[in-house]
Amino acid sequence: MKDRLRISVSGIRGEVPGALNVEVASKFSSAFSSYLEEGRVALCRDSRCSSHMLEMAVISSIMASGLDCADFGMLPTPFLQFLMRKESFAGGISIAGGHNPLSWNAIILLDTGGDYLDISEGSEVFNIYEAGDFRKARWRALGKTHTLKFPLELYLDTLSKIVDTESIRKRNYKVVADPCNGSTSAYLRDFADFFRIDLIPINDNPEKPFPHSPEPSVENASQVEAVVKSTKADLGFLLNSDSSRLSFVNEKAEALSEEMTFPLCLLSLEGKIGKAITTTVTTSWADWAAENIGITISRTKVGQSSVVHTMESEGAEAGGEGSGSFSLLSFSSGYDSLLALALILDYMSKEGKFLSELTQPFPPLNMKKIKIEVPPERTYRVMDRLEEIYYKESPDCTDGIRVERKGIWFNIRPSATEFVLRITIEGEKEEQIESVEDELMDRIGQ
Amino acid sequence: MRISDLKISISGIRGIVGESLTPQLILKFSEAFSTYIGGGKIAVASDTRPSAEMVKNAVFAGILSCGVSPLDLGILPIPSLQIYTKEKKLDGAISITASHNPVEWNALKLIRKGGHFLYPLEAEELLDVYYQGRFRRVERPEKIEREHEPFVTHEQKVLRFVDGELIKTKKIKIVVDPCGGAASPYVQKFLEALGAEVVCVNCDLKEGFPRNPEPVASNLGDLCKAVRKHKADIGFAQDADADRLAVVDENGIPIGEEYTLALAVNSYLKLKGKSPVVVNLSTSRVLEDVARMSGVDIFMSKVGEINVARKMAEVGAKIGGEGNGGIMVSDIHTCRDSFSGMALLLEYIAWSGKKVSEIRAELPDYFMMKHKVKASYKDWRKTLSRLTSKYGSGKIQDLDGLRVDYPDFWFHVRPSNTEPVIRVQVEAKSGEMAKEEFKKIMEVI
Repeated sequence: MKDRLRISVSGIRGEVPGALNVEVASKFSSAFSSYLEEGRVALCRDSRCSSHMLEMAVISSIMASGLDCADFGMLPTPFLQFLMRKESFAGGISIAGGHNPLSWNAIILLDTGGDYLDISEGSEVFNIYEAGDFRKARWRALGKTHTLKFPLELYLDTLSKIVDTESIRKRNYKVVADPCNGSTSAYLRDFADFFRIDLIPINDNPEKPFPHSPEPSVENASQVEAVVKSTKADLGFLLNSDSSRLSFVNEKAEALSEEMTFPLCLLSLEGKIGKAITTTVTTSWADWAAENIGITISRTKVGQSSVVHTMESEGAEAGGEGSGSFSLLSFSSGYDSLLALALILDYMSKEGKFLSELTQPFPPLNMKKIKIEVPPERTYRVMDRLEEIYYKESPDCTDGIRVERKGIWFNIRPSATEFVLRITIEGEKEEQIESVEDELMDRIGQ
Repeated sequence: MRISDLKISISGIRGIVGESLTPQLILKFSEAFSTYIGGGKIAVASDTRPSAEMVKNAVFAGILSCGVSPLDLGILPIPSLQIYTKEKKLDGAISITASHNPVEWNALKLIRKGGHFLYPLEAEELLDVYYQGRFRRVERPEKIEREHEPFVTHEQKVLRFVDGELIKTKKIKIVVDPCGGAASPYVQKFLEALGAEVVCVNCDLKEGFPRNPEPVASNLGDLCKAVRKHKADIGFAQDADADRLAVVDENGIPIGEEYTLALAVNSYLKLKGKSPVVVNLSTSRVLEDVARMSGVDIFMSKVGEINVARKMAEVGAKIGGEGNGGIMVSDIHTCRDSFSGMALLLEYIAWSGKKVSEIRAELPDYFMMKHKVKASYKDWRKTLSRLTSKYGSGKIQDLDGLRVDYPDFWFHVRPSNTEPVIRVQVEAKSGEMAKEEFKKIMEVI
């Protein structure tokens, strides 16, 4: 699959070197800047070793199309999205592979307000890409590049209007952070100082490769668990490489499922929001949390693009996914881990409880996530067959197929970022999950 | 018939920004070069064109993509880049400059280990890599390094080569016009270090060039005026990448680009000792006169710096160059270098005690016509056979296009490596004769 590019509104993703290379990055940037109106394009990148190189190809192409670049260098994507709401930009590009493995990277296209493109906007850009019909500026009209610094004070000030900063400060929490040597590393110290956190960072050197897969999850949390334990910290957390996903480790040094991040954020916002959006593969804890704080929740397709656009169209204040992402429209349109972290600190200090106590009332649920490699040319045939098989159970086809049975549900869908089918099964009993897994493997294998 | 302004050739890649020279092409070409180099470190420098930043980003992306370490030298004349590459033993270099072409053009010129342009056969190999498009892309790109004083290596070499003490005693007053190009940040300090009094025109880096960057007489109005105004002893003009030099005498009159090389060669032979001379086939006969006056041999090579450089090495020539103002001094480096040229001329002026107009008057007069005809290469064969049959009575050299010599005039017709044109040059003892013969040749073409 090394030579296959994954093109969607979630980004143009692929392995470097391989499907994603400087020429592809350049062509997509040329297509995107041909699509944009005049103005500046906001740029940032994560810490992957291929990101700077790809960014230079992107800059050259934007300049050649006559648009200026506002280059923020290594910066978490949600920071850029935050700023795009405050200042005027024609659009934005983030070069960040997020949760993808180290050898991958992605070109993520953002609209003027920092939102991911929606499907129709995305297809306009991809059509220009295919036609190769790029705007070319004459020498006098070439764009310029300005290197800019992200205004972190503005970000923190805005954050302090959402959470009770003083109350968090009084607690002097001791927190272990694992930014996965990603782009957030350089900003954690200021964040911690602002909230008077006693920060214990690990894996915070962006010059180094990722210490583990950049997906926040229980499997990747063992280092944080160990440090929380040895330092007797109050909390630990893990980020993906560009700060759009996070998961926690509680004060007992137990890693929490990344599925808990979204419901915890909802609980922290009790009384402040009325509606939330999530996806059809997010845990049922989300429904439980929504019910708990008396809000409505509805579900859409997986991905930041569809969740945030649904939030906007349905007037929902909050949104997020089971992968550990959370967004609050009054703050920014991006999935923002440090926002989520601040909300959880706020929740802890407000309740005067630690995470093990806050998650204690969660109903017992188990989730299993499985990915199966399926070549792209077979994906939709497999999905069609499954749809026929499960037709009788009137599945929800918002994103793949979601079947609900007594005490258990499962969803099968093609990934937008990798060449895999993703299966999610959630239920109360392990045996039940196992039997659904066997059933699905059997049917996919047919 | 459609002729693209894009030219991908053994000289590199050249085109018009906003038309043919796209970031995608620049990337691909840089990747091809880096794949061809196959590792190590290469330097990158540019002239001052407004498109330099756009091009440079793509060049760096391409180099990083193929696992080579790039060294950013910022704005730097091409001879300085070549000398840096040689002295620091780098694996190659890319120069971002369209030289004497107008501001809307840009180009990549490729420099090999040792500081020369790629040899023609190497360039052919590189083009194979480019067209095949199979690049050596790596998982872990290197990091970009920066050099903050890239001109020093070149400057020190030239300053050591000439007699600075002698020049200082003469208090020579100079006006220099680097055309807001790559020499602009350096040339004033360089000439002052040689002990001259310097007035700089067109030294500011502005949007675009203050004049057409080709250092031919018609583009030197500012310089001529300034030489008269400041009562200077000599005026120098450089092109955008500072490989070519033009000279204006103390009366503010351009001596003609063909005579720049003649003066420099003459200076070398008088000051530094005898040596064979190498010039290209398009060079004025005045060089043959200069060689004869000093009793040394003169050799002709194909047009193009690398061809002159290789011929110089072959015959052991220490001085040579191209007739359009490209002076090559092997003591510094066999590349066209306006800085070496300026230093030599200043030393000669100081040594001889003569004025520039007097030095020029010692050489015989010739008149040259230069012209270019936009043409596709497919017309070339026909043109060549028509010319050969008509001018069969002259002395024919077909090393590079067609040069035919008669006792009173000669002409050279060849397809350009850098532009989609056929270049025509005619030189005769008188202006009328040159015009007349030129007309006849153009009828055949």
